[in-house]
Amino acid sequence: MTTPTAEQLDRKTRAALAELLLAMADDEFVLGFWDSEWTGIAPVLEEDVAFASLAQDEIGHAQALYRLLTDLQGGDPDRVAFGRRSEEYRHARLLDHPRTDWAFSVARRFLYDTADAARLDALVASAFRPLAEVVAKMRREETYHLLHMHAWMERLANGGDEPRSRLVHALDHLWPDALCVLSGVDDGPLVAAGVLAEPLAAVEQRWLGGLAPVFGRLGLPFPFRRDDDRLEPRTAPPAGCRGPERSDDFRWLWEQFTMVYRSDPEAIW
Amino acid sequence: MTGQPMQVFEVFRREREGGPMQHAGNLLAPDPELAAHYARELYGRRQESVRLWIVPRAAIRDLDDPDLLQPPFDRSFKKPAGYSTEIKRKLAEARARAGGEAGDDEDDDPVVASGRKGVEQG
Repeated sequence: MTTPTAEQLDRKTRAALAELLLAMADDEFVLGFWDSEWTGIAPVLEEDVAFASLAQDEIGHAQALYRLLTDLQGGDPDRVAFGRRSEEYRHARLLDHPRTDWAFSVARRFLYDTADAARLDALVASAFRPLAEVVAKMRREETYHLLHMHAWMERLANGGDEPRSRLVHALDHLWPDALCVLSGVDDGPLVAAGVLAEPLAAVEQRWLGGLAPVFGRLGLPFPFRRDDDRLEPRTAPPAGCRGPERSDDFRWLWEQFTMVYRSDPEAIW
Repeated sequence: MTGQPMQVFEVFRREREGGPMQHAGNLLAPDPELAAHYARELYGRRQESVRLWIVPRAAIRDLDDPDLLQPPFDRSFKKPAGYSTEIKRKLAEARARAGGEAGDDEDDDPVVASGRKGVEQG
């Protein structure tokens, strides 16, 4: 496999790569802001520090991805991160939901982190080397995030009636939108160019295949049926997986995280 | 929450390879797994540690009996400093005795001696 520089990618592949980078960056960015809302109010002080630190990690990943994007197509990473209108963000619908309760935030982050891990697996040997390098660093941090979220899923699932029922309720609510994490990107040109190792549909099957035994063991909702070797969702993912329609909750979050930037977009920090 | 009672874990950290493990602080967690996660965040998230030990406080044998640690008799002879203090005292006494006999014990001091020599030359 040759290793193309950004200039050597054809126009269609570059456009698809930009789409992928923006989708991934926005996923990490918006999740980071939602989860940072637990700062000061997490169940225990230690978890408060830990969850805030995880949220900061996601903002760091978003920063690296926004930089890749602006290296590819020009522009300023901060302007991409903070200077767009709310309907211009391309995060998955899974990240349109508010923080809600602790079980909800744990369930959302678990679904996101596991899907993201499957996505990163397909990018770590990317022919677009700058992305492969960022992904290699991200995976080292995500390994720990996954351990942390597995620990919490187990504890809520086995932690008695109330934690379990809250977790089940959250998963029922979130599953359809979780399928959006691995969709909404034109993956054909990326696979053809070796930027992405396999189509997102295959990444999704790998993700679900890994989750099936975990959800089986914990007895948690897993709304898929086996069709030959494939896991088919019982309900189709929603339309507009990555916008432009957004929830009021996301618009509220956008107002919050762009507030300072909008007060003076030309300010030098 | 998890339904388990919280326990105290003491955390030790090594700042750099080859350095000692030093007490960093403590934290509350329901079990050793989450304790390890929290230790990583509280004492390692800023890359300030290369190794952590996470020990349940219950595993620590606590000893603070003053009869064992602060016994009433003089123990200065067990301390290196105690020994050197005693030696210095004896040396000073010996010098005082010698000085009394020779009349000018400052000649023993090379700094003072050379200083005096310099004055003579000037």
